[in-house]
Amino acid sequence: MLGATLSRWTLAYFGAGVIFLLTAEALMVLGVGYPASALRAPQTLLLVHCVTIGWLSLLMCGALFQFVPVLVAGPLYSNALPFPALLLILAGLLALLASFLQLAGLMPMIPHCFLAASVLLGSGFALAIWTLGRTLAAAWPLNLPAQFVTVGLCSVAATVAFGIIFTLGYGGYTHTLFLRALQAHGLPLHVLAGLGGWLTFTAMGVSHRLLAMFMLSPELDGAPTRWTLRLGTLALAIVIIAGPVAIAARGNPDLALLIAGLISLACLALYARDVVQLYRKRVRRVIELNSRMAGIALAHLAAATLLTIALAALGLFGRYGGALVFLVCFGWLSGLGLAKLYKIVAFVTWLECYGPVLGKTPTPRVQDLVLESRAIKWFWLYFIAVDVATLCLLLEAPLVFRAAAAAMLLASAGIALELVRTRRLVNVKAALRLPAGTRQPRLLFTFVAS
Amino acid sequence: MTEFVELDVRPVLRAGGEPFSQIMGAVQGLAPGQGLRLFATFKPTPLLRVLGSQGFTHEARELAGGEWQVDFTPSAGATGNTIEAAPATSDEGGTWPAPAREMDNRDLDPPEPMVRILAATETMTSGEVLAALLCREPVFLFPELAKRGHCWRGAFEPDGKTYRVLIRIGTTQGVTA
Repeated sequence: MLGATLSRWTLAYFGAGVIFLLTAEALMVLGVGYPASALRAPQTLLLVHCVTIGWLSLLMCGALFQFVPVLVAGPLYSNALPFPALLLILAGLLALLASFLQLAGLMPMIPHCFLAASVLLGSGFALAIWTLGRTLAAAWPLNLPAQFVTVGLCSVAATVAFGIIFTLGYGGYTHTLFLRALQAHGLPLHVLAGLGGWLTFTAMGVSHRLLAMFMLSPELDGAPTRWTLRLGTLALAIVIIAGPVAIAARGNPDLALLIAGLISLACLALYARDVVQLYRKRVRRVIELNSRMAGIALAHLAAATLLTIALAALGLFGRYGGALVFLVCFGWLSGLGLAKLYKIVAFVTWLECYGPVLGKTPTPRVQDLVLESRAIKWFWLYFIAVDVATLCLLLEAPLVFRAAAAAMLLASAGIALELVRTRRLVNVKAALRLPAGTRQPRLLFTFVAS
Repeated sequence: MTEFVELDVRPVLRAGGEPFSQIMGAVQGLAPGQGLRLFATFKPTPLLRVLGSQGFTHEARELAGGEWQVDFTPSAGATGNTIEAAPATSDEGGTWPAPAREMDNRDLDPPEPMVRILAATETMTSGEVLAALLCREPVFLFPELAKRGHCWRGAFEPDGKTYRVLIRIGTTQGVTA
């Protein structure tokens, strides 16, 4: 069948993701990981992977299971596989976090925990990539946003592969010189493939379509957008392919990273141009909360880009790299993620609940499922807290950082509660809430005719 | 070697017409093993997908002046039937009556275009056709139309910006999930 239906397990991914976001923020409040510990300390690795796998990757996978079918106007390859993929990723993540606790000496050693983490995470992501890849392959030739997603999926495969090499290294399983060199010098490749390729590049592609859709802006598929895709793909290919080659040949990937960095700047400049066009040329003058907050997140991407340039110019990456990663993860990626979650949860809930009776009986609008005036204060608190926290990292004020993290936790919990209220249809007037022929949606599961 | 039936829709497109039904008619008329060679003024990306879902592979080649030649080759199991979402009806792929109702939903916030189309279909009688203009392919609408027993045909206009969908009200009005 042509057309897209709802994805069965997307809400389960979102639910698990939000729990890890709140967990990670709570850990920061408690002073676990950077800045209290060193950047590469096991405690920091634990915190970072709660954010990047537990929150951001689960959020992205869940969103893609729903959104790739929309992009290609075809059905998801399988509505069943995302569930075992989620279980494998969650089990793998827990094994990975346990492994970090063992490295930190906070937990007794469990034999082969690192190996289990590698196998579980590897197979979970492979299953997710397979499901999305087959969906994309069935829709060849791909439109531009779908091509961005394809590059993103290649990047997550590379990120997981680097991660597995590191994990096996920590577990003492790798003995070849190359793999050890990769472990010693390859961390930037893992970080760039993950935060840059998988999360940022995919978000860029998806945002092109989502922003156009929600603001009634013209779709962008002209030469600048195609160049954004090409330059980004080239930069990521350099990181993922030339990076390891450079480590093998020269002992470090610095030159490859410099070239990739310069190309990414051109890519991001073109993307900024596209984003400005999308907002300027919109037909809809008054835009919804999700589009306004996405704008704030995009401003944080611009700020992160400027910070990168400044740190590179001043040679201060070593000292402030943590602040930069924090800004990318929370100001840009989580900011965009929370903003879009606010809309996506309302939309899929509305379609699931009211789709079957549309036109037959009075139904609420999508916007009746949310109460923006209440949600907006949480979003502002979130972004202000992120900015204060970033400043604290740059100014090296760890105690104030923990207070800012507490504000982030409060704001994220507020937004999470709004999402639950949307899912529960609490904001809809009682008379319209459940007309005949509808049923109350479940919190973490979507009824889909298979 | 596949034998190709040639269809040139460039004159129709230049005149501002909608060749979708002509193309689907030509596909219907193919003998087993025959392919379709289509000439168009732009690359008909949505059509590639529609025929792909019916088991046709394609080879697209850009001609001079931005025009395109696309060869559709049937693979094993290809059917010449209309779009899969459409339930089998007696006049499948045949001529549809002129639209009884036209809507321009291009300036509406999503999902309002879908809401209005579904509301309109509820007021129409079996066999009538509704035409609607949209600013994007209504991907969530199609499964809902199929569930309600309606047929549809849709494609982007040559400008690539406006999506025109024709919906023929089915005989199984009122079927819900």
